[in-house]
Amino acid sequence: MIAALLSLAVLGAGADPGPLRVLGPAPRGEVRRVVTLAPSLTDLVLALGAGERLVGVSRFDERPEVGRLPRVGGFVDPSVEAVLALHPDLVLAQPGPGNRRAVETLAELGAPVLLLPLGTVADVLAAERATGKALGLPGQGEALARALEATRERVRGRARAERRVRVLLVYGFEPLVVAGPGGFADELLADAGAVNVAADAASPYPVYSVERAIQARPELILDASDTEAGKERVRALPGLREARWADVEGQALLHPGPALGKGLEQLFRLVHPGAPQ
Amino acid sequence: MTSVADPLVGTAGAVRFTFARATLVLGGLTGVLLAALAASVLIGEYPVHLAHALAEPASPDGRVLLGLRIPRAVLGALVGASLAASGSALQALLRNSLADPFVLGVSGGAALGATLALALGLQALAGPPLFAFVGAVTAMALVLAAGRARSSPYAALLTGVVFNAFAAAVITCIKTLLTPDRLGEVLYWLAGSLGYEHPRTLLLGGGLQLAALAVLWAESARLNLLSLGDDEAASLGVPVRRTRALVLLAASLSVAGAVALAGLVGFVGLIVPHLLRMALGPDQRLLLPASALGGAAFLVVADAATRVLFPVFHAEPPVGVVTAVLGGPLFVWLLNRKEHLG
Repeated sequence: MIAALLSLAVLGAGADPGPLRVLGPAPRGEVRRVVTLAPSLTDLVLALGAGERLVGVSRFDERPEVGRLPRVGGFVDPSVEAVLALHPDLVLAQPGPGNRRAVETLAELGAPVLLLPLGTVADVLAAERATGKALGLPGQGEALARALEATRERVRGRARAERRVRVLLVYGFEPLVVAGPGGFADELLADAGAVNVAADAASPYPVYSVERAIQARPELILDASDTEAGKERVRALPGLREARWADVEGQALLHPGPALGKGLEQLFRLVHPGAPQ
Repeated sequence: MTSVADPLVGTAGAVRFTFARATLVLGGLTGVLLAALAASVLIGEYPVHLAHALAEPASPDGRVLLGLRIPRAVLGALVGASLAASGSALQALLRNSLADPFVLGVSGGAALGATLALALGLQALAGPPLFAFVGAVTAMALVLAAGRARSSPYAALLTGVVFNAFAAAVITCIKTLLTPDRLGEVLYWLAGSLGYEHPRTLLLGGGLQLAALAVLWAESARLNLLSLGDDEAASLGVPVRRTRALVLLAASLSVAGAVALAGLVGFVGLIVPHLLRMALGPDQRLLLPASALGGAAFLVVADAATRVLFPVFHAEPPVGVVTAVLGGPLFVWLLNRKEHLG
């Protein structure tokens, strides 16, 4: 019975958060007061040049531009009251099972909500266009999306001239969490001419078996974690010790958003350090 | 957890149950509950202008008051009443004043059900509450079936403890398979929190809780006799097996419903009946409804405290954290105090 339950849990782990959606009333007139419920969405509003319209952000937001803004809770536990108290014309949220009730309640109580999944590159492109439109800046949204598409084309072209490198992209060492299949990181690895050795995992952010990581013989291990905890132990393992190790700087590969283009270019340099830049 | 019969449960009430005393105590506690509800409705991040909200229910103030604050306060009252009243009944039935309403495997079953629902991404089908309820009822049925074999209250209690440990192991196993963000949701749910439920969910939950509480109160006189021991109760004309089955069923369904609505909110079912038993004596005819009212007031206040803490943490801590932080030290103090007295 337990085995059956566990296999179900694995299947469910990659459940689709659903498409881009609008909940609640449509924004009336010009959108002047925006609340974001995730740092990636704050990045998006800032990249559109509409930072001055932000009136509230999540407690995980670290950008100095929003340092003085009120916090309205986290991704799983936004405070409905704190959001409503800011009288937003638009709430940007990343849909997830944990915040579904809170987000629905926000919409029921009259706050226009734009739900923007950010799991894949296509999601990010759609979110850039939709947010641009919602903020009355369709040109800027389109430009952001076009820029990312152009960067992808350019990097793919350069990667075609290079040998494909076997890469393990690590988000955390204790436990070992890596970039699995089906997410934006996996897509960008492919763009950069890398083979994701964890492509056999069950979800975009799987807790990966250390032995499997050794067996996969990665040539390059990319460290995108923000902590050193457990790193030395993993680094000392046979098969992983011999691989080339490199740090992914910044948050581009942690936060899906307008910085993905920069993240992709960085990824290409890390995967192919000898390639003509 | 000790299985020593507790003198506080076993002795017949030194103070007689009178209509006047019951009216006074229950009336007073109803007043406390109403005050807690009123305070809870006035506390929150959104500055609600009360007169404006009541005059215009469709205004933002009105919608926050009627759509958020009042349903959430009612939810807290329901869950608190259920946990404390079930705790009181189970403590009398199992003859152990340290019995927690979660002992019968209910918490483990509910947590397992909800974890599965979250892991499978079944939120769209009212996942965690429904699965938690099914898990709790299944666990309870298993535990009671196993416990019945020995017809001893301790067999059911121990089976429940073992089941909870088993469920915890399976949950840990599922957690290792989850992605970090989904894991966060599971952990948040397990900590116990009062969210925003649909009115129809509240109505359904409220109906279940009122029915369960009515059954428990109706059985409270027989519960008093049962706490003397099965043989003694039988010789006094109590249908022992029927009464025990009825009380276990009502208490477990009530706790399962509470867990489905709010996750695992600990200590309410332990602390509230304990405190009230010290003040009122062990007579279930009074203790049971008093626990329901006291538990409701306690959880409503604890939930309001999570909202007061929002500006500190930039998040509302789950209400289960508040009840544990208040309840844990209080319980240790009560235990020590009792030992000194005993």
